[in-house]
Amino acid sequence: MSAVATYAANVAVAIRTSLMDRTNFLLQSVGMIVNDVFFLVLWYMFFAGFRRVGGWGLSDVALMLGLMMCIVGIAGVFFGGYRDMAATILRGEIDALLTQPKGVLLRLLARESIATAWGDLAMGLWMLASFAQLSWRALPLVAAGIVCGATVYVASAVVYASLAFWFAGARSFARDLTDFMLLFSTYPGSIYTGATKFVAFTLLPAGFVVLAPVTFLRAPSLRTLATIVVAALVYAAFAAIAFHLGLRRYRQGKVPTG
Amino acid sequence: MPSTVPTIRTEPRLAGALAAALSAFALGLRRNLVNWPVLMGRCLFYLVVMTIISALWDAVAAQHLPGTMAALLPPGGLTLYAGATEWITLSVASIHLRLEDDIRFGALEPQLLRPKPYLLQKIAEALGDTAARLVGIAAAALLALALSGRIAPPPIAFVYVAVLGVLGAAIGVLLLTLVGLCAFWLRRVLPPYLIMQKAMFIFGGLFAPIGYYPPWLYHAALATPFAANLFLAGNQAIAPSAASFGAGLLLQFAWIAVLSCLIALVWRAALRKILREGL
Repeated sequence: MSAVATYAANVAVAIRTSLMDRTNFLLQSVGMIVNDVFFLVLWYMFFAGFRRVGGWGLSDVALMLGLMMCIVGIAGVFFGGYRDMAATILRGEIDALLTQPKGVLLRLLARESIATAWGDLAMGLWMLASFAQLSWRALPLVAAGIVCGATVYVASAVVYASLAFWFAGARSFARDLTDFMLLFSTYPGSIYTGATKFVAFTLLPAGFVVLAPVTFLRAPSLRTLATIVVAALVYAAFAAIAFHLGLRRYRQGKVPTG
Repeated sequence: MPSTVPTIRTEPRLAGALAAALSAFALGLRRNLVNWPVLMGRCLFYLVVMTIISALWDAVAAQHLPGTMAALLPPGGLTLYAGATEWITLSVASIHLRLEDDIRFGALEPQLLRPKPYLLQKIAEALGDTAARLVGIAAAALLALALSGRIAPPPIAFVYVAVLGVLGAAIGVLLLTLVGLCAFWLRRVLPPYLIMQKAMFIFGGLFAPIGYYPPWLYHAALATPFAANLFLAGNQAIAPSAASFGAGLLLQFAWIAVLSCLIALVWRAALRKILREGL
């Protein structure tokens, strides 16, 4: 069984586990949808009052939020282990995985499926279909944007979590960094200039998670497509390297304990 | 000859409960001061949030589109307003998560056997946490304001914001207590928390003053505890006035009383539920 097949089997189990308590699952998913609706209302009211911000209007923000919700939804449903990965490392829970032949990183990511993420996914798709002013012909491009954005998002979260191989305090820090990245990803890209733009395209790569995909969808070209694909590959490679360097330390027993 | 039978001196119940609450408050305060790196991280988060929000409002103000509400913005934009509301929001301790943990993982039952009121102690502890955060983040905010070169509001505005901000944070703790008590029925409090968070955005004016809403929505929002939580303090940062300060103070005390009664009612209902059905 290949590593991907093992991952798929693990994810299927994680999803089934999240669905077991149906009432709780529904409450969490619907709660997230209500939360996302409030978010949309907020921006709707903002643009009703101020019309545009640096060239961005409501449809652009709806596209950005729709993409972001899909990305967070996919990450939560299929790679939900990213959320608590630093804590998992610090608690020494990867010991059991080290004795098994399959890839540790994919198995860690497939440990959990987050119920609220289904709400994000549903809302994101609805928002893209209803408010983002996209045609059906843009569907493959939307899929490409979501895949690349989700790759950068999960890869960045893995890099942050990998700090736990070096620092005991990384448990909450990794979560904070992921939340910062989310925060950067929910505001119009036009507001970022100078240092904030640099941060948004490097340390907290909201730029590559959602802003570059928005640019790609608004003005599709080979150049913008290459930008998001290369960014996804670079961040994925960086995440794999950071995790495996940390894992080597872990095997040597040099990891702080939480 | 005096009697040698020992007598039990019972402490008045209210005084005992208040003493326990005071100790819990001090515990929450001290814990934050000891964990100062976490407090520093919270201050850093505040500064990151403010960087983004100020960038947004500066972009809106710079554009100044005719026929939009940009004309209503104060000269320095809404950065000071958002600075005050975010200060309150990020200072409020996550009491809902602690209540959820205690309720879900069975830590509540042994607490109920103790003579001290569990919920009052939890709220007092959260208020202590909140007090430490209010001080830490306020220091970061004032430093950032001084370094940013933005025009500061008149000195009296700082007093108004400080008083209404502290009471607003207390209202925030009470609102999150209600969210936490939902765990008796829902087990996980994330959905009600997220809904309340967004209500704070819209009815509390976390993002922009509710005064910019159409009149019907403004009055509706003002009648909610969320406005008392955030808007009343934030508004003093951009439009300080003694009259609105006094009115705000009264409104906040009224909401503290109403929310406290509501919490007591929900707590009793929850206790009835667990005595009948268990957790």
